[in-house]
Amino acid sequence: MAIRTRKFDEAKRQATTNLELIWWVFMRLSGLLLVFLVLAHIFANNIRISNTEIDYNYVATRFSQPMVKLIDVLMLTLALLHGTNGLRYVIEDYVRHDGWRNFIKFVLYLVVAVLIAAGIMLVFSFPFNKIGG
Amino acid sequence: MYRGREGQWAFALHRITGVIIILYLLAHVGELTAAMLGPKYSNAILHFFHQPLFQLGLLAVIGAVYYHALNGIRIILMDFTSWGTRIQDKLWYGVLTLFALLYIPTVIKILPEIFGGGH
Repeated sequence: MAIRTRKFDEAKRQATTNLELIWWVFMRLSGLLLVFLVLAHIFANNIRISNTEIDYNYVATRFSQPMVKLIDVLMLTLALLHGTNGLRYVIEDYVRHDGWRNFIKFVLYLVVAVLIAAGIMLVFSFPFNKIGG
Repeated sequence: MYRGREGQWAFALHRITGVIIILYLLAHVGELTAAMLGPKYSNAILHFFHQPLFQLGLLAVIGAVYYHALNGIRIILMDFTSWGTRIQDKLWYGVLTLFALLYIPTVIKILPEIFGGGH
């Protein structure tokens, strides 16, 4: 069950499993990192330029920079795990039927696993030699 | 944190913005992954999402991110400091103030671009 508390020692007492406590800590650590990563991401792609200027060449040029690759893979993984775990809390709170809850969670995990894999593939396997082609 | 007081509003908004962000993120990663199909399909997909309706949606998602980030910092302060929970209502008004300071300039910058027509 999701932990609902506001203090680490309380969370530790309330955690049904070690894994649940690890997720509680992960949400705070990843959240803090994501504040900086995502705000920088928005600044780079929505404020500094207009989002409507983004095309294939722009994406390819960005992903040809090693720093961008590293930061984007980190951001992608943290954001999807943070978001998926958050959505799991919501599902566990509101979907009372066991069968439906497990089914929805299974579909969610499947989609996220595919997207993390696809996203990492995209960042590292971009056909840079074909820029503009 | 009482029903109908600041804490409950902060929590509800944190949940709603969180759900909006993860649903957007799933679509966002999918959209960019399409770049693997090559420039032709990628540009078509990116261009499709440059329509004003989607751009307005994106502006709303940016607002959701700002709130979720700022309130997330409030949650961390409540969890890991001795004074955070005591002043959580004041912290929430701080969140709302910072949100306005960030989001109003963002809207002023992006909104005209949406209706000015992109490329």
